[in-house]
Amino acid sequence: MKNALIDYSIRNPKTVVSLTLLMTALFAVQFPKARIDTDPENMLAAQQLDRVFYRQVKQEFGIRDLLVVGLVDEGGILETPTLEKLARAAEQVLAIPGVVAEDVVSLATSDNITASEGTLVVRRFLDNVPRTHEALAQLRQAVFGNSFFVGKIISADGKATALYVPIQSKDLSHSIAGRIEEILEEEFRASASDTSNGVRFFIAGLPVAEETFGHEMFVQMAVVGPATGMLLFLLLWLLFRRWTLILPAMGLMMVTIIWTMGAMIWLGYTVHIMSSMTPIFLMPIAVLDSVHVLSWFSDRYPRLRDRRQTIAAVLRDLWRPCLFTSVTSAVGFASLALAGIPPVQVFGVNIAFGIMVAWLLTFTLLPASLTFIREITLSRHLAARAEVSGTSARFLPALGSFAFRRAKWVIAGATLLIAVGVIGIWQIRVNDNPVRWFKANHPIRVADRVLNEHFGGTYEAYLVVEGGQPDDIKRPEVMSYLARLQQALERHPRVGKTSSVADIVKRINFVLHGEQGAFDAVPDDQAAIAQILFLFSISGDPNDLDNFLNADASKANVWVQMKSGDNRDMSAVEAALAAFMREQPPPEGLQLRWSGLTYINRIWQGLMVSGMLRAVLGSFAVVFVLMVALLRSLRLGVLAMLPLTVAIVFCYGLLGLFGKDYDMPIAVCSTLSLGLSVDFAIHFLTKLHALRRQGTDAARANQEMFGETVRAVWRNAIVITLTFLPLTFAPLTPYVTVGLFFATLMVGSAAATLLLLPAFARFLPKPTGSNPQPVS
Amino acid sequence: MHTMKTQIVLLRVGLGLASAMAHPPSADEIATKSLQAFHYAGQDMSARVVMTLVSKGGQQRVRELTLLRRNSGEDRQKYFLYFHRPAEVRGTALLVSTEPARDADRWLFVPALNLVQRIAARDAESSFVGSDFSYQDVSGRPLEADTRTLLREEAVEGKPCYVMESVPKGRASFTRKLSWIDRATFLPLKEEFYDAQRELFKVFTADKVREVDGLPTATRRTMKNVKRGHSTEVVFQQIKYNVGLTEDVFTERSLRRPPGQWISGD
Repeated sequence: MKNALIDYSIRNPKTVVSLTLLMTALFAVQFPKARIDTDPENMLAAQQLDRVFYRQVKQEFGIRDLLVVGLVDEGGILETPTLEKLARAAEQVLAIPGVVAEDVVSLATSDNITASEGTLVVRRFLDNVPRTHEALAQLRQAVFGNSFFVGKIISADGKATALYVPIQSKDLSHSIAGRIEEILEEEFRASASDTSNGVRFFIAGLPVAEETFGHEMFVQMAVVGPATGMLLFLLLWLLFRRWTLILPAMGLMMVTIIWTMGAMIWLGYTVHIMSSMTPIFLMPIAVLDSVHVLSWFSDRYPRLRDRRQTIAAVLRDLWRPCLFTSVTSAVGFASLALAGIPPVQVFGVNIAFGIMVAWLLTFTLLPASLTFIREITLSRHLAARAEVSGTSARFLPALGSFAFRRAKWVIAGATLLIAVGVIGIWQIRVNDNPVRWFKANHPIRVADRVLNEHFGGTYEAYLVVEGGQPDDIKRPEVMSYLARLQQALERHPRVGKTSSVADIVKRINFVLHGEQGAFDAVPDDQAAIAQILFLFSISGDPNDLDNFLNADASKANVWVQMKSGDNRDMSAVEAALAAFMREQPPPEGLQLRWSGLTYINRIWQGLMVSGMLRAVLGSFAVVFVLMVALLRSLRLGVLAMLPLTVAIVFCYGLLGLFGKDYDMPIAVCSTLSLGLSVDFAIHFLTKLHALRRQGTDAARANQEMFGETVRAVWRNAIVITLTFLPLTFAPLTPYVTVGLFFATLMVGSAAATLLLLPAFARFLPKPTGSNPQPVS
Repeated sequence: MHTMKTQIVLLRVGLGLASAMAHPPSADEIATKSLQAFHYAGQDMSARVVMTLVSKGGQQRVRELTLLRRNSGEDRQKYFLYFHRPAEVRGTALLVSTEPARDADRWLFVPALNLVQRIAARDAESSFVGSDFSYQDVSGRPLEADTRTLLREEAVEGKPCYVMESVPKGRASFTRKLSWIDRATFLPLKEEFYDAQRELFKVFTADKVREVDGLPTATRRTMKNVKRGHSTEVVFQQIKYNVGLTEDVFTERSLRRPPGQWISGD
């Protein structure tokens, strides 16, 4: 197959190129069908149990995606001019198509329930904007007197107010947020003369974050992608200095990316945060094989002086090592399929496909396009090619002989690094928070920070309390359990505020009894509770109850507003609830279950840790078996796995020691680097294997290794490390993290390979009599 | 002569008919008649009402109540509602006194707390006992609150209707309302409400109309909130008009002790 494929490509270059272009066109026409997916919920499969439950909760309690608009005035927000503007702005917000007007919660739209002179008064806080001192004082009293709203629509310090704007669908969030911004801009910035100049406004909320995220993802692909391509082009030029040789490699890279992305879109997968990195990952990987081919080609051509013969010879020799490095890299990525997180799985398998495409093209498209270069051009170019010189020529052999001579020290050093790594890994803190995917100074992060300073928290989790029977929630013991549970949760520092149907019952009971403190409690009579809720539903907006109580009152939803969306904070709040439940078991027949986006994020985070561990161990095992097969030696197989083990353990240990959270991008890097860094060892050990078979003694072999072979490894390490660096200029932190950490892992693996392998090679016993076939 | 006279009379009648046909009633005339026919039929009325609230997910909540209404002169009305079901609220009673120009007065008796509570709620457009109907949908919206235009005539399920557009003069929960008013009975057979976003959000339909004591009555009506996906269906049973309800039925005392003559205890 090897010879047939290579020969056919060399003899029928036009057919190969046309066929490739035809295929490329087929994949390219898929691109317009691409759908961007920025929904963090999609980190879980659609049928995952917690996600199914979350969908039910949203449906049952009429929960929509929320935009949170915060207005902050350090001089106090409850002032006549500000309130007038707020009232006008709110009215305009309600008129924006796509806003669920009845459910907007704000000073201007929400009902306050009070009692005055024997009358239960249900009115909006801002039915009339207060214009006198007395009226303002009354409003302040009304607002701060209703604990249900303090920390929700008014900050406890009176400096900030918030509007919660539910929207009909997430795709409207960008346009609605933009319209709200215009309205506020107009109301609050229009005149410079009045006192409300101090009002600042912020728009937060998950839908805004998602939209912005999608936008930044495009920026990343449109700016960082081409930048990486340019950098790669530059690196290749520095290595080969001949456009004629580089262009086929760059073309191959483009074709690989188009096939790979096209295949993903064709199969109906969305472009997610992970898959948007596909082009950048594929760029350096796709040209790795080409770099070898071109390097050998330019070395051998001056001797053979026949492009067809040279290509055929080079490709035959490289067939096996390239197949193995490609397969191991592909296995590394494909092992992400074990991760249990759909976007990560798609990404891994897709890149694995891309790697094999690149390998196939290296043995078809590349030789075909090289035959188009005229012999005269080649001989002029390549004859003049200077011998390798520069720092690497001096530095690498020195490195090699150092590692060989000081083998014991090197091995001791590696052992130390492993020990440090293990200690560090022990301290790794698993944590992620999608809001942190934006950089700290991003407007979304700023809004998030300011709003969480002033209010109960913008991170929503839901605690669903399920009774088995209709009206179970109206049982007095259930209702008072809810109230106690909320108190326990609110003691946790990360919980800003909780709201439930029990708060409503308490509020009305309190108001009905002339606001006497003793009645700020849940009545101990089910009929009283039922009739209080009935009173509430027939006197105010009945929809207000729906968010907290389902239709047959068999389930209640406790809203838990948290000041942080960190997964570990969610876990801590869950632990606080568990502790409370141990202390005070819930009434008979009552089930409690967490839901909400903050909780969902915690779930996929957990899945990711176990999933990535599975992926790493899985790919480690497969790569190890492949290594043993390739090198036909268990001992060399073990040796091949050593450098990357040291590098990965040490790099992850560093994360733990420096307190960097183990998050999604970090987790993904491990399997990726495993598949790529083993390449270094493959090249090193196949060559060593060949030398040892020839009976070369250890010291001499080492010297030879650090000539051409190590130089190729070194070049590949540089190419792959540098091409990931443009990611550090990306606007979103996961890209930055991947760029930096991946580059670190690559440098670490290359260094470990170049130091550890010569050190261990010194102690390898002489090969036994059974001479295996040469591998290259 | 005789024949000539007859001819003239016939001609006049014909002209009269022709002019009547050429000039349909004005939008305001239709609205006045419709308000009368739909909200003020008879001097008083009593009925057993089954109200079904259907949530978006299709879950149903049923409320059953006795409804007493009395017109007490000059557009004023009083309503007495006694809840039979659900069982947990049996005995809860609501007294509403409406006057077109001002917010209604409401008193609620909460039996479990043995408390009569006066409620000053937001406005007439707020929900009527937790349903998709507003108080105004039940008791009528003052004529002077809107400006009206007669758009066209159109049949609803075979019944010829006037199609009228109403636009509120002041602030209201809707910005435009289209009404299909039966030419024969002046009952609205369908109404569409458009919100501040200029989108349809509520649809009223009179699903079943029959004559009771000689008065055309919508015995089954539905209000569907198309934006939120929930709806309320109201069925009137045991309807009686002009039964002789007196003012003293509509007092705080009867909230606590419902008049057995009109309201059965179950």
